[in-house]
Amino acid sequence: MAAMPLEGVRILDFTWVVAGPVATRILADHGAQVVKVERKDPPPMGNRKLGLQCDLHRGKLSVALNMQHPRGVELARRLAAGSDVVMDNFSARVMRSWGMDYQSLVAVKPDIICISMSGLGHTGPNSSYVSYGPTLQALTGYTQLMAEADGTPAGYGYSYADMCGGYTGALAALVALWNRRRTGRGQFVDLSQFEAVAAVIGPALLDISVNQRQQQAPGYNSQEGPAAPHGVYKCRALDGDNDRWVAIGVRTGPEWRRFVTAIGSPEWASDQKFRTLYLRMQNSAELDANVSQWTATRSAEDAMATLQRAGIAAGVVENGIDLCERDPQLKERGFWPTVSTAKGPPTNVTGIPFKLSGVSGNVRSIAPEVGEDFDYVLGELLGLGKKERDELVAEGAVWT
Amino acid sequence: MTAAVPGALAGLRVLDLTGHRAQLCARLLADMGADVIKIEPPAGDDARRIGPFLDDLPHRDRSLFFWFYNLNKRSLTLDLKHSRGADIFLQLVRSADVVIESFAPGTLDQLGLGWEVLHRENPALVLCSIAPFGQTGPYRDYIADDTVLTALGGMLYVNGFPDRAPVRPLGLQAYHSSAYFGAIAIMIALLARDNSAEGQWIDLSMQEATAAAVEHVAAGYFERHEAEPRRGTLHWSRFFRVGKCRDGYIMHCTLGDWTSLIEWVKSDGKAADLDAPDYQQPMYRYLMAEHVFEVLDQWVKDYPRDDLLERAQLLRQPYATVRPPEALFDDAQLADRGFFVEVEHPELGRKFRYPGAPYVFNGTPWRVTRRPPLVGEHTGEILRDDLAVAPEALATLYAEGVI
Repeated sequence: MAAMPLEGVRILDFTWVVAGPVATRILADHGAQVVKVERKDPPPMGNRKLGLQCDLHRGKLSVALNMQHPRGVELARRLAAGSDVVMDNFSARVMRSWGMDYQSLVAVKPDIICISMSGLGHTGPNSSYVSYGPTLQALTGYTQLMAEADGTPAGYGYSYADMCGGYTGALAALVALWNRRRTGRGQFVDLSQFEAVAAVIGPALLDISVNQRQQQAPGYNSQEGPAAPHGVYKCRALDGDNDRWVAIGVRTGPEWRRFVTAIGSPEWASDQKFRTLYLRMQNSAELDANVSQWTATRSAEDAMATLQRAGIAAGVVENGIDLCERDPQLKERGFWPTVSTAKGPPTNVTGIPFKLSGVSGNVRSIAPEVGEDFDYVLGELLGLGKKERDELVAEGAVWT
Repeated sequence: MTAAVPGALAGLRVLDLTGHRAQLCARLLADMGADVIKIEPPAGDDARRIGPFLDDLPHRDRSLFFWFYNLNKRSLTLDLKHSRGADIFLQLVRSADVVIESFAPGTLDQLGLGWEVLHRENPALVLCSIAPFGQTGPYRDYIADDTVLTALGGMLYVNGFPDRAPVRPLGLQAYHSSAYFGAIAIMIALLARDNSAEGQWIDLSMQEATAAAVEHVAAGYFERHEAEPRRGTLHWSRFFRVGKCRDGYIMHCTLGDWTSLIEWVKSDGKAADLDAPDYQQPMYRYLMAEHVFEVLDQWVKDYPRDDLLERAQLLRQPYATVRPPEALFDDAQLADRGFFVEVEHPELGRKFRYPGAPYVFNGTPWRVTRRPPLVGEHTGEILRDDLAVAPEALATLYAEGVI
C-alpha cells in the first residue's frame, strides 16, 4: 500500500480539551504519528471509545508522563528530540516551567518546530487570561451578534473558536514542516486562539474599520449580497417532530422566476411589491410570511427537492439524525466512517471533509486510553528495556 | 510593506480561480508568503459585487468583501471560455504548484481544463476543488449559499432557543471552515508530493467541512442516537451560559476552580446551595447546570460587567464579557500583539486597518506584502514577465477581450 501523506512525521502532543486535539487529529488522520503526553488523571471529558472524545483523540498514541518528576521530564525531552513538531495549548508559563519550550528544545533538536496554541497568545497584557472556546466567542463578537430580533443573545450551542484554533494550528504545523524541508530550519509558532476566531469574523471587520459602521445582529440577512427570500421557513412535521425547517436563498431575477414557478405561481407572487430584488428586500417580512405558507404544507425534504430541481439554493435544516442517518449525500460519500474497537461493536466517527486522488486520509483506530501505549512509546521509540521501564514506573516518573 | 525575511511559503505559486465562496483558502496561503495569482473573468470576480463597499459607494474596486478575502494576492483577468484564454491558463499551470477552484462540478472539464488535462500539463500540480457538496454523490449538482450549507451541515439547527427558529451562525462559517480545510488539504498534498513527485486532485465538500465543525452533533448521535437540541445560550457541554449583568451580558463558565468561585459568590451572599460538597464534582455541575446558572445569574445581575471580568480573571476564572466586534479595535491584548495592521491603498491616498495573522511565526514572520488588487492590476506584468508575451500580442489579447 502506498504511504500516507504524512508518514514519517512525528508529533509530540501536549494538547488537551478541544482546539489542540482537533489540530493533531487532522495530522494523525493523514499518517503522522501523534504521541499524546497526558497526566495520569486528566479531567474527565467522557468516554474515549465513542462519541466526541473518540473523535478528538482517534489514531493517536497515549503515554502518561509525570511532568512533576525530573525523569518524566527527561523522557519528554527525549521524545521531543525524536519528533518533528511539539504542540501544546497551555499558557506560556507551563511548557517553560518544564523546560519544554522552544528555546529549551532547540538544544536537543535544532530544527524542532514548536506550536503553542494558547488562548490569547504568549505576549501581551492579557496573555494569562484563562479561556475556552465559548468565552473567546463572547470576547470577539460572535455571541452578541447571534441574537434574537430584540437583542437577546441566542447563539452558540457549539465552539466555533475551538475549531478555528484547531484548523489554524494544523495549518501552521503543515506550513512550518513544508518550510523546514526547504530551509532546514524549524521555528516557534505562537498561535492565539482568540486571534484565530477574530480573524474570520469576515468583511464586517473592515466595515467597522473602514466605514466606521456599528455592526448589528444580521439575523437572516444575507452576508453575501442581497437576497430575498433568504432564511429558514417552518415545514410540516415529520413523525411527530414539529421542529422541521428548510433554508432558502433566492437572489437574481431568473432565480426568483424559477422559485415562483416551483412553488406553483401563487397569486401573491405577482404583486408589484415583489417585482424586483430591491422591493423583495423592502417587503421581506411579508414575503417570508407568504413563503412560510408554502413550506408549511410540505416536508422539509420535499421543499428542498422541489426547489433544488428548479435550481434554487435550499436545504433541510438538518438535526443530528438527519445528518448521520438520513442525508443521502453524506452517506454516499462515506462521511461517517466505521472504526472497529478492540472490545465491543464498531463505532462511527466524523470523517475527513476532503479526499485526495492519491492516498486519502483515513481513521486508523479509535482513541487510546490514557497511557495505553506505554510499552511502545518507551520500548520502541525510546529503546528502553523492560527493567528500565519498570524502574521508571516504580519511581513514579511514568504511569501505566 | 517591504519584504525582509521571506514568508514560510515563499516560492510556492498558487492560481486562484475561486469565486466568492472559497477565496479565503488562497488568502491563507498568500498570508504565509505564497505567490497567489487571483484569476478573474474580464468583468471582475463576483465577490467584487458584494458589499459592504468603501464609503457605501458600490464599485468593483471598493468592495470590502473582496478586500477582506484577497489581501496579499495579485489579480490577472482572463477569459477561460476563450481558447486563447484557456491556452494562457495552461501555460501558467506549467509553473504553478497549486490551482484552487470553486466552480460547479464539471465546469473545468467543459472548459477543457479538467484534472486529466492539468495533470498532463504539470504532473506535480495540486488541484483543489471546493464545491458545496463535493464532486460526487446525489447532491453534486445542487446549489447552496452559506446559510443553506450551515443548514445541511447540521450547524444551523443547534443555534437558538428550542421553542423558536434556529439562529444563523455569524460570519459565513460554512465558507470559512471549508477554506481552512482546503488550505490544510493543499499543504498535505504538497508534503506528500515531496515523496512521490506527483500532484493530486483534492475533492472538498463544503457540506462536510461544515458538519466537521460541529463534531459534537454527530458524536451525540453516535453515542446516544439522539439529535442534539437547541439550548439557547447554554453550550452543549453544559459548562457555559450567557448571564445578564447590570450593563450587559457575560459568559459564565463553571470549569474553573470551583472553590474560589464559590468563595467569591458566598462573600457576596449569593451562593444559595452551591457551596454544598456535591458541586465540587464537575459531573454534578453538569447535571445541575440549569440550577447552577440560575443561581449565578442572580449573583451577577448587579455587577458592572467589566468589573466582573477583571475580578474573575484575577481568580483565574474563565469568564468573559459578551462584547460587540467593535471592541476588538480597542482591545489592549490585540493592540500589544499587533493584530490589526495598517494597509495602504495608494490609489485612494488612504490607509485602513485590516485584521492580521492569528499567529506569530518567529522564523518566517507574517506580513502584508500588497493590498487587495484592483481588477486585472497585474495582468500585463504577469503575462510579460512569466510567459514572455510580446507587447503587440498583449494589446491584441486586450482588444479581443481575452484579458
